[in-house]
Amino acid sequence: MLDRIYPYVVRIAAVLFAFMFLLPIFWMLSLSLTPEGGSLFAGGFNVSMDNYMTVLNRAPIFGWMGNSLMVSTITTAMVLLLASMAAYSFSRIRFPGSKILFILFLSAMMIPAEATLIPLYLLMRDVGLLGTRTSLILPAIAGPMGIFILKQFFDGLPKDLEEAARIDGAGFFKIWYSIFLPLSRPALAALGIFTFIGSWNDYVWPLISISDKAYMTITLGLPMFQSSYNQEYALPMTANALAAIPVLIVFLIFQKQIIKGIAFTGGKEM
Amino acid sequence: MASKTITDSSGGAGARTPRRSLRRQGWVTGVLMVLPYTIFFLLFSMIPILYGFGVSFYDWSLLGEKSFIGLANYRNLLQDEEFRANLMNTVMFTLISVPLISGFGLLLAVMVNGIRKGQAFLRISFFMPYVLSVSVISSIWVIFLQPYTGLLNRILRGIGVISSEIFWLSDSTLAWASIIMATLWWTIGFVFVLFLAGLQDIPESFYEAAGLEGANRWQTFRYITFPSLSRVIVLVIVLQTIGSFKIFGQSKLITGGGPAGATKTVVFSIYENGFQTFQMGYASAIAFVLMLVILIISLLQTTLLRRFGE
Repeated sequence: MLDRIYPYVVRIAAVLFAFMFLLPIFWMLSLSLTPEGGSLFAGGFNVSMDNYMTVLNRAPIFGWMGNSLMVSTITTAMVLLLASMAAYSFSRIRFPGSKILFILFLSAMMIPAEATLIPLYLLMRDVGLLGTRTSLILPAIAGPMGIFILKQFFDGLPKDLEEAARIDGAGFFKIWYSIFLPLSRPALAALGIFTFIGSWNDYVWPLISISDKAYMTITLGLPMFQSSYNQEYALPMTANALAAIPVLIVFLIFQKQIIKGIAFTGGKEM
Repeated sequence: MASKTITDSSGGAGARTPRRSLRRQGWVTGVLMVLPYTIFFLLFSMIPILYGFGVSFYDWSLLGEKSFIGLANYRNLLQDEEFRANLMNTVMFTLISVPLISGFGLLLAVMVNGIRKGQAFLRISFFMPYVLSVSVISSIWVIFLQPYTGLLNRILRGIGVISSEIFWLSDSTLAWASIIMATLWWTIGFVFVLFLAGLQDIPESFYEAAGLEGANRWQTFRYITFPSLSRVIVLVIVLQTIGSFKIFGQSKLITGGGPAGATKTVVFSIYENGFQTFQMGYASAIAFVLMLVILIISLLQTTLLRRFGE
């Protein structure tokens, strides 16, 4: 008897949990589409875009998202480029000291970014980069996780792939970009997604570095805008929706790759 | 040497590779390919760490007035009531949220793994909050938790769980409960996805064997699923523990560290001492204590993973 109903119980519980998880997001959208104090469910179905217009007039949401997009895109591109080059070198070319260097990078994975906030602040200030978008990009590139993930992937690629190219006279550099990069597209995509999400969501370092409103990322600008609203909920929620909707759309389009990528990089991060 | 390799290679079309020179060429390329990253690593990871370590031995103000005070910052840490409280808060948060999120994540993964039809919908629902930023999720939860107007209280009142309003963010225990709920909602997708991937790696034949042995559902989980997942479980717990120790955004944005500092954390201490009272040396000392704790957890992980590796 219990065995018979078990699958149904699991299914119903899973769907219930799923709705509980979606509820805050639906509620965010519902608050953003109704005037302050109103509710989407009470008093008919009056959808209005007024809140969106008001928020866009009062805060440079698109400017902040542009900053986020710029910072995250450049960070991701640089990480992919530099990490794949270094990982290839560690995987296929041995030079004196390469092993020690790799171990040094590996152990740096244990250093939390929070531990470098103070020195980064002082150093960035001394070189005049504090408060710039560049100051958000540079430290993010120095993270060693990409090298580790890609080296593991490269180590798993069969050796005879490059033997043929080597016989044809291709150098290491050429083998890297004409054979390894195309073959490791799934690993690069996974690392790229991981890096992009991490950079987009970074909060504490931008909070310390950036003070000019014009250079804020959306993750930093959003709470600053919301902090001026105390007992009002429609406008802060609309700002949330504005920040969330593009991310959610990208997620829904690429959800399969994103979830796979997170499982891949997360599982490798050790 | 160079001329010798040239005469050597004239022998056959690359069949007899001039080993030495190729290796030399390899060294140069190898170094050149590692170099760009290494420069970033030195400038933005290595040097800051060493610099920060140095700063932690100074009384260092924002404007750069500094005097060497040896271990005084670290000694003061031991007597700093507020730091101790923040450290305790962080440890308590970690001790509660890690088993909760890992356990619930595993439960969701086991449930979803058995469902074929509609699995994509479930996966999307549980993972979706993870792609939002800490600012968005914090603000959603602050509004979600408001007394009188917030949805959570309205639902709880509606189903008769509570009769009077709950002031989630004005009581220290409830404030932590709020942060934990928000963190669970936000990050469980990550744990869930790792467990789901781990579950899908377990060969079907294991379960068939268990079925032939007449194992019931609990026994199958206990003797097949759980041991097969041991690596992922260790990984998830360690990643969660490290992540929990670094909690800052939720506490800053949901409760502002309040009520009365009850939800401040270790990173909160770094932030306040470094960038509100501008004691750079003291804040650096806190950062190094945090780093030490995370280092120990990471080393513990390596040992545990090695043990569970086979």
